[in-house]
Amino acid sequence: MAKLKVALYWAASCGGCEIAQLQIGTKILKLVEAADIVFWPVAIDVKYKDVEAMADKSIDVTLFNGAIRNSEQEHIAKMLRAKSKALIAYGACAYEGGIPGLGNLFNRQMIFERVYRETPSTDNNGNIMPQPKTTVPEGELTIPEFYDTVRTLRQTVPVDYFIPGCPPEEKTTWLALDALISGKLPPAGTVISHSNKAVCEECERKRNVKKVSKFYRTFEIIPEAETCLLEQGLLCAGLATRGGCGALCPQANMPCTGCYGPVQGVIDQGAHFLSAVASVIDASSVADVKKVIEDIRDPAGTFYRYSLPDSLLRRARV
Amino acid sequence: MPLLAKTFAQLGIEEGRVRLDWVSASEGDRFAKLVNEMTEQVRKLGPFSRNGGGKDG
Repeated sequence: MAKLKVALYWAASCGGCEIAQLQIGTKILKLVEAADIVFWPVAIDVKYKDVEAMADKSIDVTLFNGAIRNSEQEHIAKMLRAKSKALIAYGACAYEGGIPGLGNLFNRQMIFERVYRETPSTDNNGNIMPQPKTTVPEGELTIPEFYDTVRTLRQTVPVDYFIPGCPPEEKTTWLALDALISGKLPPAGTVISHSNKAVCEECERKRNVKKVSKFYRTFEIIPEAETCLLEQGLLCAGLATRGGCGALCPQANMPCTGCYGPVQGVIDQGAHFLSAVASVIDASSVADVKKVIEDIRDPAGTFYRYSLPDSLLRRARV
Repeated sequence: MPLLAKTFAQLGIEEGRVRLDWVSASEGDRFAKLVNEMTEQVRKLGPFSRNGGGKDG
């Protein structure tokens, strides 16, 4: 059987997914047996023009990580979609926007102002900001256009599969790669994970009655090892997050932050998390409720930490 | 609701655009009054655009 042609690309990403793709360890030998990597900017010196020259659908699978936040990323996403039989959104950023997606609480102007002018350690008296086109003696230099809004891969091109996680756990990555190598792929559009239910199902902590009258940030308390973290007042996203990761963060005494995305069937992960938290608040009057939620300092950032671009509102109005 | 209001404030949705109330089928007058109030309130706030001012999104 001819070797599979595989491409990997990183858009608005931290690089963690590139490392995660290597986390499969020795199983990489099985992958290399079955596949030829034809494009992987982090590791191989294949150029964009080489990809442009490939025939449409000549790449069997592209693993695309990172969100779309500038014109270069959009361009390559569209190019790889045309050249690939299967395009897989790898990791939270490609799947639902990820951490870069929190940029949707602002716009380009606000972000540039902050980065290039306002930060205390910046000295920019000339008010120099990046420009899409600059003329220098040698000619004209261009850089990609920086968009106001971060988009997910699926909001840019049609996507065949999603591998959730920030980054995806080794076993989740292998679940997808193994399916590819053996040709036993699930129905198109599937989010590939060992679980379609909430992280709570995999979490070993004991759950009692949930009545929370005070919330804490993670540095404020040391939680008990055996009891549900949400019950102890930590904002654990587990109940609104797909499992498959093995509930690793709660095992390490840290509340789940929601990186595997929404549970099967939920459209807006942040709304799900918000209503779940609201339902466990122990307060008898509106005034009491307001006092309890004072401890939730950043609801938009906490509930939509990875999923803002994929939410119903997609971005904040600024 | 307070939690939703706090989140919406961060997302740039004004408080006046969301309201939670209960009306029974026999309170026709009250329903009409609430809807008219809400309509006026929202009209004063102006049209809702998903990204007030940005070119894309």
